Amino acid sequence: MFELDTRSRKPIYEQLVEKLKELIMNEVLKPDEQLPSVRMLAQQLTINPNTIQKAYRELENQGFIYSQKGKGSFVNPSEESKDSEKITAVKGELDKLILEALYLGITVEELIQLVKDKDASKRGGAKGD
Amino acid sequence: MIEVQKVSKVFDRYEAVQEAQISIQKGSIYGLIGSNGAGKTTLIKLVAGIYQPDLGRITIDGQDNFENTKVKKKMFYIPDHPYFLTHYTTLQMAQFYRSIYPNWSQERYETLVASFKVNVKKKIHTFSKGWQRQIAFILALSTRPEVLILDEPLDGLDAVVRKKVKNLLIQDVSEREMTILISSHNLRELEDICDHIGIIHRGKILIEKELDELKSDIHKVQVAYKGEVPEHVIKRLSVLHTEKRGSVFLCIVKGKEEEISELILNTNPVIFDLLPLTLEEIFIYEMGDNGYAIENIMVE
Repeated sequence: MFELDTRSRKPIYEQLVEKLKELIMNEVLKPDEQLPSVRMLAQQLTINPNTIQKAYRELENQGFIYSQKGKGSFVNPSEESKDSEKITAVKGELDKLILEALYLGITVEELIQLVKDKDASKRGGAKGD
Repeated sequence: MIEVQKVSKVFDRYEAVQEAQISIQKGSIYGLIGSNGAGKTTLIKLVAGIYQPDLGRITIDGQDNFENTKVKKKMFYIPDHPYFLTHYTTLQMAQFYRSIYPNWSQERYETLVASFKVNVKKKIHTFSKGWQRQIAFILALSTRPEVLILDEPLDGLDAVVRKKVKNLLIQDVSEREMTILISSHNLRELEDICDHIGIIHRGKILIEKELDELKSDIHKVQVAYKGEVPEHVIKRLSVLHTEKRGSVFLCIVKGKEEEISELILNTNPVIFDLLPLTLEEIFIYEMGDNGYAIENIMVE
């Protein structure tokens, strides 16, 4: 299904959470689809089943998956957690770009104007629909 | 599952293990790491029930392990040099273990022997070191132990066999909740499979933690400033190690990622990078903090 980078500095548990989130956000794993069992994944990836269990618990806490007793874990169809994840990602990107823009000498006023313009055109577009 | 409570072991006047305290949960893979001569093997032999503790107590499933055949039926120990009865073949060793381990699975044994392509009629001592180790694994896994104790288990195995063995171990952990205690110098090797880590140094357990927790508690920070370095801020961090490379500071900092980031970002650095540490680095810096630092020796 996917590979983990055991040479990476990132804890395997974090890598797992990220990979699975990615698969869920891109709908490779579809809403209500069953995730591979802990056992299967452990064997496939040759990593500790306890680590996988922990990653699944974390994904459940964050609302990406839900579990049914005796059946396994499934992808949560709700968009809420996906959206909040995307918002965090976009904000992070913006942070970097804004900082770069400021270093390059673009003024705060210019940036605000840019945002206002975009907002106006978005609203205009919405009206036109 | 395995409880080591304030255990000490003295050889002559040398205290190899001092008030060691570890606790291993069922179905967990526990990695024991330590400097050379730190007491790893002694501690492992204590847990395996080969040595008797001078002080303290070791229980497996609530029962004392020393000279306790009931406990030993459920566990298998592969020492750093695998031991076989003199002049025995694999087949003879298998018959021997079958007679003493009630959980022995003949089916498993035959599958493993076929998969590893071992000539079972050849005397084990005529095999190479790597092969002897593979045979030890085949026999160990065939006894279907609840507790598997491994001292430097992957030494001398090639990459393909190592992967195969690890996969077999993972299967037993996920399907039967087998508990593994494993010691190794090869920290990379432990990093992929362990969930808990104990660090032993001069007979004492320095740290015992979940591996992910250990990793999320210590970071490598690279930071550079245009002007003056805000030393008062850096002083507020729990820094294990600092190095200056040109104008870039490299620090090893203990603590929560968010707190460290926030504190440093407030000082407006021009470069700021925060990386997790590898287990190897954690080991080196923790040991350095305990007076076991790396010295680069200059030789002629």
